[in-house]
Amino acid sequence: MSTTRTAPTDETAARADLIDERLAQDTGLRGAADAFRRRVRDGDLGLLPVVVGLFVIGLVFYLQDVTYLSSSNLVNITLNAVPYGIIAVGVVLVLLLGEIDLSVGSISGLAGSITAVLVVQQGQPLVLGLLAGAGTGAVIGIAYGLIFTKIGVPSFVITLAGLLGFVGLQYVVLGDTGTINLPRTSPLAQFAREDFLSPAVSYVAVVVVVVAYALVSIIGIRRRTAAGLPAQSLTLVLGKSAIMLAGLGFLTYYLNIDRGWGFAVVFFVALVVVLDLVLRKTTWGRHLYAVGGNVEAARRSGINVNWIYISAFSLTGLLAATGGLMFLARLTSVSQASGSNDVNLTAIAAAVIGGVSLFGGRGSAYSALLGVLVLTAINSGLNRIGVDSSVRYIVTGAVLLLAVSIDAIARRARASSGRG
Amino acid sequence: MAPVSTARLGRLAPPLALVVIWLVMTLINPRFLSAVNLTNLMLQIVAVGAVAVAVVLVLLIGEIDLSVGAVSGLGAGVTAVLSVKQDWPAVLAIIAGLLTGALVGLLHATIVTRVGVASFVVTLAGLLTWQGALQLVLGETGTVNLDDPQLVAIAGTFLSPALGWLIAAVITAAAVAAVVVHLRADRPRRVWPWVLAGTVAPVAVLVFNADRGVPLAVVVFLLLLAGGDVVMRRTTLGRHAVATGSNASGARRAGIAVDRIRMTVFALASVLAVTGGILAASRLLAVNQSSGSTDLMLTAVAAAAIGGASLFGGRGTVWSALLGALVVGSLANGLDLLGASSAIRLIATGVVLALAVGLDTVAHRAERQPFTEHSRPGR
Repeated sequence: MSTTRTAPTDETAARADLIDERLAQDTGLRGAADAFRRRVRDGDLGLLPVVVGLFVIGLVFYLQDVTYLSSSNLVNITLNAVPYGIIAVGVVLVLLLGEIDLSVGSISGLAGSITAVLVVQQGQPLVLGLLAGAGTGAVIGIAYGLIFTKIGVPSFVITLAGLLGFVGLQYVVLGDTGTINLPRTSPLAQFAREDFLSPAVSYVAVVVVVVAYALVSIIGIRRRTAAGLPAQSLTLVLGKSAIMLAGLGFLTYYLNIDRGWGFAVVFFVALVVVLDLVLRKTTWGRHLYAVGGNVEAARRSGINVNWIYISAFSLTGLLAATGGLMFLARLTSVSQASGSNDVNLTAIAAAVIGGVSLFGGRGSAYSALLGVLVLTAINSGLNRIGVDSSVRYIVTGAVLLLAVSIDAIARRARASSGRG
Repeated sequence: MAPVSTARLGRLAPPLALVVIWLVMTLINPRFLSAVNLTNLMLQIVAVGAVAVAVVLVLLIGEIDLSVGAVSGLGAGVTAVLSVKQDWPAVLAIIAGLLTGALVGLLHATIVTRVGVASFVVTLAGLLTWQGALQLVLGETGTVNLDDPQLVAIAGTFLSPALGWLIAAVITAAAVAAVVVHLRADRPRRVWPWVLAGTVAPVAVLVFNADRGVPLAVVVFLLLLAGGDVVMRRTTLGRHAVATGSNASGARRAGIAVDRIRMTVFALASVLAVTGGILAASRLLAVNQSSGSTDLMLTAVAAAAIGGASLFGGRGTVWSALLGALVVGSLANGLDLLGASSAIRLIATGVVLALAVGLDTVAHRAERQPFTEHSRPGR
């Protein structure tokens, strides 16, 4: 790819390149700091408010109860966040398109029920049960996508109908008993409750992740330099990697005091990282952002808009179902209350709090991770203090409102700086 | 026979669905059409219907309010606590509940217009917040039982047969007058709603009188509908609201104070939601933590959409709420009568919602530019 491009020879070409902020990469440490300041000033806050929010939450609850930041509680928070987080990742996908799926909770409940019935009641192999549960979600998503693109019913209504219909279907699947318990010895339950990375493996994993990040960044610098584009400095990459190593290393050390990284948590984080790469680096992902930003423009530039919608909806369904299976695994039971409206609201709120714009086209997979951490952290803290659910609802609502208000105000700043 | 345009077909879908549901339910269980059951059906739908009117109003300006259920619960909770625990007179307690709703609606609209957050999210946050607030208001017991005779009377009063006939006579007379006026002015298409109202009114009173009489709650609901209809079609506010819903920036450029319209409509919708909440409380004789749950919101939004209010904004009438509430209510009532589980009821509601809105979308597709007007939540 880089061979077809000729390197610019004079200074003006390089500067012209800096005009487009998406291509521009400031060189050097100071350049990076400048770019960050400029982004914040122009209203592109990114994940900054959420990270600050997490620190504030941690501090507030720590002052109320010192065991809040204890290793065992943090491990619990990570484990509890997984099912909501996986569903929220799916919500991020549809929100990036500027659409909505209100039925993620119902899909998760239905998938959990199908798997539980197949595995526990009918004695089918676990793999088959999992495939059936997850497949149900994907098929539902495809159906949404087809109805949305071929008939043109707003996604809000299709998924509202789905929300009602699939709750009903879940009751039917569960039958008269209403509750099905998954044996704690089941590999699925083990995966979400008992399986943790051993300390040695976790440290190796941290090193591998940081080295991979550094290598990918360095290759990126090489390619940009070869193409005559300004690249970030090597010092910056090494600095970032060192900070990452220290941060992840300390977190791993701290979690390892208790049980460490759960398999389910690793699975969730890996899912987020892979999805982030898919969104940013593949044609499909970039088309998704394009469709979310402006459908008509995307269609006219030759993007198969229908395919993007259908695939995104089906992926959302698949992820919602996977989240439902995680609920089943974590709670070792499924009932009529599984995947209730609480799950729906929490997953959508998490995606929005994490910084996905409801107007489409902006946000990243990491939003789901951070948003769900915020909500789970608040939940855990309020439970420890012992406030009742009323305060929990109010706090969640207030946090959601705060997050979107910051986003809305930032969007104005962006619009006035010409980056709407 | 004149060819039926597709748009016309879309409008006919919801009433057709209602007729089909009534036919099927009657064929399976003739008791569905009994006076007792029809009276119960009407009593069951007034609360959802009132909340659905609120949803229709907000949809008409092209916004969405997901908090109607929670707000209806909160308003009813405030009324109940003031009446029972603080011994306020019923009227004052009701006014306080309605005011709570108005304040909540104004708050939502302020955030939507001033901060620029999508109404979808503001009201989602509201849904959570007001659900919590309801639990706080109700206190530790979580349930407040109504004991004020006037509050209880709202849903427990039935008009005497004579009064019922008087109402029917007034409606029919008004309908005849309206038909004559419209025919003289050569507006034959305006005649049909009045013909319908003029014929249904006596039949309905006949049915009600065969049981306990016309329920007061139903009269209140119909007054809400008629009032809402007049406001939306005949007043400047209503016409500006529809203009805002069809094309907000067009409306603004035509000199309409779009933000003020939004404030008014959101406040009005929340007041209507509280009215629905109070009607429900009066019928249940209590307000508890499950009052104004998310289910109520979903049913009300479904009813509004089934009734034909467009989710793209600017299209739909207040009567959509009645039609939609009747469809949803008849399904639930009929299935209950058949002894079907709540699972079947949920599935059936979902299917009817999908069918109704699907048909409506197909019917109105020609009116929209493909792909440029896809609904975005909160717009």
